[in-house]
Amino acid sequence: MTTALMAARHQTGAGRTTFVPLAAREMRRFVLNPVFLFAVVMTMWVAWSRAGAAVTEIDEVNGYPAVFLGGFGMMAAYCLTRSMRASEPVAGVTPTSRPARTAALCWVAIVPFCCGVLTLFGFLHSYPVGDAVYGPFSPSARLAVLVGQIVVPSLGGPLLGVALGRWVRFPGAAFVLFLVIFGWVELVTILTFSRPDSAPIAVLRLFSPFAFFTDQADSGAVMAWRGSPWFFIGWQLALCAIAVLVALLRGAEGPVRTRVIRALAITGAAAVILLMLAATGGFTHAVAA
Amino acid sequence: MIRPMLRAGAWPAVVGVSSVAVVVGGCGAAFPAAATVLLPVCFALLAAAAAFTLDEPASLVVDVTPTGPARRTAIRAVALLAPLAAGALVLLAAALRGLALPWAAAGLALAGNVLLGFAAACVVRTRTGEPGGVAGAAVVLVLMAPGLVPQVARWVRTFPAPGTGGLSSDTVWWTVLAVCAVAIAISARGRRLSRWRVRGAIPPLPGAVRP
Repeated sequence: MTTALMAARHQTGAGRTTFVPLAAREMRRFVLNPVFLFAVVMTMWVAWSRAGAAVTEIDEVNGYPAVFLGGFGMMAAYCLTRSMRASEPVAGVTPTSRPARTAALCWVAIVPFCCGVLTLFGFLHSYPVGDAVYGPFSPSARLAVLVGQIVVPSLGGPLLGVALGRWVRFPGAAFVLFLVIFGWVELVTILTFSRPDSAPIAVLRLFSPFAFFTDQADSGAVMAWRGSPWFFIGWQLALCAIAVLVALLRGAEGPVRTRVIRALAITGAAAVILLMLAATGGFTHAVAA
Repeated sequence: MIRPMLRAGAWPAVVGVSSVAVVVGGCGAAFPAAATVLLPVCFALLAAAAAFTLDEPASLVVDVTPTGPARRTAIRAVALLAPLAAGALVLLAAALRGLALPWAAAGLALAGNVLLGFAAACVVRTRTGEPGGVAGAAVVLVLMAPGLVPQVARWVRTFPAPGTGGLSSDTVWWTVLAVCAVAIAISARGRRLSRWRVRGAIPPLPGAVRP
């Protein structure tokens, strides 16, 4: 018994010692990925070039970090994940299991997440929480809007890219998904312009990894749409967890697979609840500041 | 020759991406307010679909067959009918829904998008057997640039939507069509094993004299 426990403890220690260098290596590959570097440069350029421009409402500017750090980060993570596909017959027989390698890949999302946090601070410097561009939201809800639109997409995009790379073989999957999500967000936002008080359209608008929360009314005032920014962050984090679990599911065997499937079911249920809370919470109708 | 060449094409990718484009474009036709955003996305997807028409997993074998690259490219170009038909279907649906678009300019933009994807694939095909992924991603990023970066939208318009400033979509697409025709002609002619690849495959011995 003691021998078995000692062996198990030794294996856990060995797993940790291989995981950290693996994660560090994947992180270095991700940071040097040209798509990600392009995304960082574009985020900085757009943020810098728009800093002095007149902005009437915050949603005019805060979609760009999500597009570049989240969308392009997804494509970079997808490339990174797929790049190991050719060497899978060799990598597959190493002592490190596929879920462990997937977990190491998921850790690279820390890099765009940190970039997102830095971008958030930049936005808070350019557009302080007390600014009128946020509309009638409370100070905490304003912060939640920014976190949900800048920081969490920067984390979720690369995680989605890893999950996609683990399951989909089609080389164009990342940019097709990027365009589909982009088109969906645009479509539901445009629908919200015409029916800002509709509950089903609010659900559709929030049924997305990114959502806008404000609009400029005809009178010039900033209008806040219905929905709770805090619960929306919860929904986004649930999507991130689902992406990680779906990625880990590939190649998982035995009890690990069972645990991942169970966690996936629980997270899925939590995501549905959080989406409903996001759609029904906050303002119950569009409010102008 | 034509049938086997066409049969070997990456049809699942071409048809799959074209189908996604039809869905996105269909949403644009169904919701006229979103048409000017969704139709460019649809056209970008069709350009990506066109980029997959030259994918050849067995390129190492196919590239040394007597059928020349120009002929292979011409045969594979038939597959462009799929994204073009998909785009035409979307434009027809938009017309039936009563969208007020400049149809000639929209048709030109569709042809330009598809040809741009194909030209990018032709250029990348000289380096790799499966250019679809790289060429498609590059084309999508270029085509979506006006929608993603506000500064680019001020210089150039890739869709004939009402707006001010920048080059008009017609000017852009006529220029792109001309450049693409030249790029395709050059790529299709020069797609043989280049000299550096032959030298790389059989390195000459030091001091050896060619008979």
